Amino acid sequence: MRRVVLDRMGRLGRFLWSGWVGVAGLAVFAALWQQGHEAYGDFILPSPIATFAATGTLLQSSETWRLAWETGLRAIQGFALTALLGGVLGLAVGYSAAAMRLARPLLTIVMGVPPIAWIVLAMIWFGSSTGTVLTTTVVASFPLVFANVAEGVATRDRALEDMARAFGAGPLQRLRTIVIRHVAGRYFPALAVALGSTFKVAVMAELLANIDGIGVALATSRANLDVAQSISWVVIIVAAIFIVEYGVVQPIRAELERWREAARPWGVKR
Amino acid sequence: MTALTLDGVAHAYFGRTVLDGVALRVAEDEIVALVGPSGCGKSTLVHIAAGLIEPLRGRVVAGYRRHGMIFQEPRLLPWATAEDNIAYPLRLAGVARRERLERARRAADLVSLDRRDLDKYPVELSGGMRQRTAIARALVVEPDFVFFDEPFTALDVALKRQMQDLVITAARQARFAGLFVTHDLAEAVRVSDRIVVLDERVRGIAGERFVGIAHGARDDAAVFAAVQHYLKEDPLFRHLHETDERRIA
Repeated sequence: MRRVVLDRMGRLGRFLWSGWVGVAGLAVFAALWQQGHEAYGDFILPSPIATFAATGTLLQSSETWRLAWETGLRAIQGFALTALLGGVLGLAVGYSAAAMRLARPLLTIVMGVPPIAWIVLAMIWFGSSTGTVLTTTVVASFPLVFANVAEGVATRDRALEDMARAFGAGPLQRLRTIVIRHVAGRYFPALAVALGSTFKVAVMAELLANIDGIGVALATSRANLDVAQSISWVVIIVAAIFIVEYGVVQPIRAELERWREAARPWGVKR
Repeated sequence: MTALTLDGVAHAYFGRTVLDGVALRVAEDEIVALVGPSGCGKSTLVHIAAGLIEPLRGRVVAGYRRHGMIFQEPRLLPWATAEDNIAYPLRLAGVARRERLERARRAADLVSLDRRDLDKYPVELSGGMRQRTAIARALVVEPDFVFFDEPFTALDVALKRQMQDLVITAARQARFAGLFVTHDLAEAVRVSDRIVVLDERVRGIAGERFVGIAHGARDDAAVFAAVQHYLKEDPLFRHLHETDERRIA
């Protein structure tokens, strides 16, 4: 028991410590940004410091938190819906080769229609409401998750399933103990990508459909030609994505993928 | 008492009949080796016997209570530790976690797996350790019948011997019957009580020989002499090494 706790703390510590590398990457980004600022001046590209100051001022107002919450909630709802629908339908379709073949052209159609067209359609169907945002976010990110899960089921290890059958596992037990674990290896990377696109599409839908949230705030700062504030809103969106990805998606993934960690050669474990 | 009865078993792949009218009985405490050239259907037969393949015709009657199975590849779950892999059949059977880990440890001792290796994932284990884990997984259910599907083919000579000894000891201690598929006649002589020869020409069993050497007396010389005798003087084994794998679909 004590060893399990220590092991978990060790892994948590490594996870937090690996954050330094992330910070280093962000610092490089900030340096490039500063270069751009010095080359083009305050109006085109405000300096990182000025932007963070503007973000700080924005965050002091309760209105900002309300807008961020509105957008974040819609994006997370869309993301959850995508994760659920993509996971369940992907599992169901992956089991049937015929359904897979039927689903492929449909996916191409759904992915081929530009998100902007979906926004226009959704606006006609739902008006300027949360429904519009949810529809567009799900349509934009669902195909990716669905295709990955279905592909994961189709490429499952039949030898392992035979082994399980030899030891008396029924179809549900095989799904639970083998197929889902195999699919998780593709599900979580797909979710990480889908998460980014849900937030982006949510803001876009808000901006175009004039739905109260960060999208509208962005439209307002554009109308005022307030570049620092526009970038501040972007910073807030990115921060929200960071929180969900590293607070929820990556920890679950790391928990399921411990064996891959063990497979790495010595010296590059951290 | 018969532990396993196969009666009139037939199977075909894409219209090509591999097995037809196969009848086989395995007695309690008896290890039967199935030998034959590649493509003669010995793997198919053991899969049918274990219930993994539905036979085209015929029936399989199991007189045993529980069976275990060992495959050519270890077939371990890559995301589970050695311990959890060994305990996997118990998990399927709904045994409580504490009890199944205890039984997994006992099974690991049976195949001399190091306790320190039990926390490792299959990728961290050597080939021999992985196959030991797979054997422990078959033994953890305390089977009275074990199916072996060319379990040691991929191992090197020394390791193969160790594993054979392990199976011989385990069979004697745990008293299980078994069906052992192999294409290595020396392995069949070392491990089994009876050798059944399959042949694709007759689409089934061409004949059988009892290994007339006591288990204690199966040293290298005796095994070698028996294999030589079978190959040189016994017409039953004449086609054992004559095979054209290009004809096998």
